[in-house]
Order: sequence, then structure tokens, then C-alpha cells
Amino acid sequence: MLLDINAYVGHWPFKQIKFNTCEALMERMDQFDVDISVISNLNGIFYKNTQPANQELFDEMRSNKQFRERFIPFAIINPIYAGWKDDLEECRNKFGMKGIRLYPKYHDYELTDPACIELVQLARDFDMPVAFSFRMVDSRQRSWMDIQKEWDLKDIIPIVKEVPDAKYIFLNLCNSIKLSDEEELLLKDVNMVIDTSGRSVNTFIELLERFGREKFAFGSHSPILDYMTGLLRIESLSDEEATDETKDLFRFGNAKRILTI
Amino acid sequence: MQEVHKYRKIDAHAHVGLKPAEADEQIDIADRLGIDKLCISMPITNYSGTEPEDPEQVRKNNDTVLEAVRKYPDRYIGFMTLNPVYQKEALEEIDRCVDLGMAGYKGYTQVKINDPLYYPIIEKFIDLKMIMLMHAFVQIGVGGYRMKYDEDQSAANTTIPEDMVDIARRYPEGMFQYAHIGGGGDWEYACKAFRNYPNIYVDTSGSNNEEHMINFAIDCLGEDRLFFGCDGSFYQGLGKFFSAELTESQKKKIFFENYNSILKKSGNHVA
Repeated sequence: MLLDINAYVGHWPFKQIKFNTCEALMERMDQFDVDISVISNLNGIFYKNTQPANQELFDEMRSNKQFRERFIPFAIINPIYAGWKDDLEECRNKFGMKGIRLYPKYHDYELTDPACIELVQLARDFDMPVAFSFRMVDSRQRSWMDIQKEWDLKDIIPIVKEVPDAKYIFLNLCNSIKLSDEEELLLKDVNMVIDTSGRSVNTFIELLERFGREKFAFGSHSPILDYMTGLLRIESLSDEEATDETKDLFRFGNAKRILTI
Repeated sequence: MQEVHKYRKIDAHAHVGLKPAEADEQIDIADRLGIDKLCISMPITNYSGTEPEDPEQVRKNNDTVLEAVRKYPDRYIGFMTLNPVYQKEALEEIDRCVDLGMAGYKGYTQVKINDPLYYPIIEKFIDLKMIMLMHAFVQIGVGGYRMKYDEDQSAANTTIPEDMVDIARRYPEGMFQYAHIGGGGDWEYACKAFRNYPNIYVDTSGSNNEEHMINFAIDCLGEDRLFFGCDGSFYQGLGKFFSAELTESQKKKIFFENYNSILKKSGNHVA
């Protein structure tokens, strides 16, 4: 079984992207033997009021029974926009969304903003994982209208410190993975997974030694990144580095744990 | 992994002596991913701005490459670097490196590829029937200006697509390889710029593994002007290919045959 914990549908406003509808993504999943994908609507990154994007995703998923069976929707919530608690409630109860994705750089707030902390605490109370993407695109070739800052691993620490008992999903880890001893201990103790789509997971063996086999899950960052690289990082591990049982944790086991499915 | 190992592969853009992977580690990854041969070089990157760039340093770098080739003769093909600022010594270094079995050139940011300092060097590589791989980049729109470098990309002499086009037109018999369309630059821009210049090739290496990059490059350049490469980003290098929509023939060409045809011109091909 394969579960992709990092996929999207929707538009990227600065470049044409392919395979960005539920229909096209499902064809892609069939081609690469992926059973389930966790998806959000990219449009929500660019809407100030993110709820119409969540509604769009809900509507698209409602149009086909297979979509509802193969996709796990995550809401994009902007905690500094009016009505976000109502949005979360609607996403959880009406749209059936299982987690949330937050984009502090795109929506222009700090991780330690009281509203962000409150949202993560609420997600914790609802047993919803909270996902952060360390970058959406490679900033070296971004549009001048896109944000420049990419995160390092340590940039996520402030929110983990504030709400250490939430469930976290860290996506597209792409830059420095250095942490202080204190930060590393904190992250090890948290119920989190890092997806395998990011450039920094080229050092997968080092990351495994540091954080343990329960902390990683297959992710593609599709349709922005290619569909295979995240999987190659898992499948190319030798038997000594990861048994088939361990690889199954990466392929689906750890994702299921964090998603409670 | 069976599919990954199915095709012979030449990595047309690899290094030794530079991060992230040293020779032993690099060969281990190549084994995992079924990469048969790696074309290695060690340009003077001078990230710190304080590294020497003189002929002695050029020779040292090339000797590091030769040492790695001696260690893994069945896996590595050596490529030389030069500093065209020292033109006389650069021409002498070509002779030395060719005598020691090197198969082509890798240039960096000391001089743009279309600088007149390069002309006699290019003419020599034309005579040798060897390809010139040029570090290059294009950043468009960053900070609202065109092809200027921000704090992360400070080398003013970096070759840009227009420089490649300029030199390809001046020397239509030369073979020029634009480095790493996945190296973070605007790959759509580069591919579009090279559409009408059959002696410009691109390698697909680099850490950026955006979806659709390979198919876009084929649409612009055709399937004969693309080389598989990693530039140290092995997983992305392979992943973007196996994610692309390619025929068997295209995979064979881009992974192996296209680059081997180039190497064959100078007798350095893989049997």
C-alpha cells in the first residue's frame, strides 16, 4: 500500500502545472500504485479568505465517489482572517476534512501569533494533524510576485514549543536540517512525520538516525514536484538501512498513525 | 526499483571534490540507482570569494578528478576545468588533461562562455570534438528585475542563456551543454531560448525536480538534445525522469545514447 501525505489540486498562479485536478491526480495515483492521497486546494494559499478554496475542494470531491474513497482532504485555514473558527468547524463537520495545512508566509503571520497558536491548539483538541510546508516552489526561479523566504527545519520550532502535544506533518523539507540539542530533543518527542518529497531528505539515512523510523512518510508534493522522487528515497534504501517492515512504515504506516485511520 | 535499473545511464553532470557526496558515497548512490557512468569534474566554485583561481589551482582540481577516475576507472569519466583568464596556461592544461584521458570540459563563473577569452579554447575543443559543459543560470523576475542576482547568486560572470546562444551562433560546429535545467533556474526560459540552436544541449540535473520539466524540455528541444544528469541530486535526477511521460526509446536516448554519441566523437564513449 502507498499513501501520499503531500499532494494538491488547484492552480499555481505563476506557472502552468499539470495533473492538478482530482481526476488527473487519481490517474497519476493509478499509474504509480498510490492508493490514497492527502490533498488540499492550492487556491487556498492565495485566497486571503481561504474558505472558498476548501468549498471548491469539497465540491470537486463530492462529484465522484472514487474521489471520496481515494482522497483525504485537508483544510487550508488562515487564522488571522475573520471567521476562521467557523471555517474550521465547517471544514471538520460538513466537509469531512481530516487535518489542516497552514501557510504563515503566504498569509503573512508569525507562527507565534496568538491566533496561530489557538488554531493549532484547537486542531490538537479535535485530533486533527497540522501540516506546514517548508516551501512551495524553489525560490531561485519563483515569480517576483511570489514569496522569497524558505524555511529551515529550525524555523518550525516556535510553534512546536508552544503546542508540543499537537500532531504535526512537515512537508517539503528543503534547507538546513541543523538543530540545537534542545530543539532536536523537542522534535523527537513530538508526534510528527516528515514527508519524503523535500530536497533535504536526500540525507534520509542521517535523518533516520536522528529521529527514528516513526517520523517519516511518503510524500510527493504533487503536482508541483515530480511524482517519483519521494518514493525513490524510500525504495532505494538497502535492507540493512530499512527492512521491508520499516519501508511499510514510510509507505503508509506512519501516515496512517498520524491521520488516525 | 526494477524499472530504475532497467536502463543504462550516463550521468552527464557530476562532480568530485565538491559537496554533497565524495567518491565512495557517490558510487554507492549510483549503484542503488543504476547509474553506470558519471562524468565528473571539479570546477573552481569559489563560493567564499577567497579561493585561488590561478593555473596551479586549476591543475590541482583536475588532478583530484584524475585521482577519482583512477580509483573508479569503470565508473568515472573525467572532465577538465580551466580558467580562461589565464589563456596560455589553459590551452596547455587542455593538452595535459587530454593526454591523461579526459573527455571534455566543465566551465564555471570565471568568464562567461561568450567572452573572447574563450575563443581559442572553444576552437581547441572543436578540434578535439569534445563538448563544453557550462555552469549557467537564469533567474527572471526576482526582485522585479531581469537576470540580476540577489544575495545568493552573486557571480556576475555567470553564463546566461543569451550568452550560450551567442556562442552557439559564433561556433555552429561547437558542442555546448547548458548545465542543470533543474539547478534552480528558470528552466522554461532556458529551454525556450535554445529551441533554434541545435548545437546547444541541456542536462537535466539539479535539485529542483518540478513536475513536467522533462516533457517541456523535449517539446522545446526534441529528444536528442537532452542529457540525463544529477549534479549530486541523484534522487531528483532519476525521479523527474520516471515521473515524466516518455517512450522506451526516449528513455534510452536521454539516459544513455545521446550523451554516448557525443563521447563517441572523441573516442571516449562507453562500449
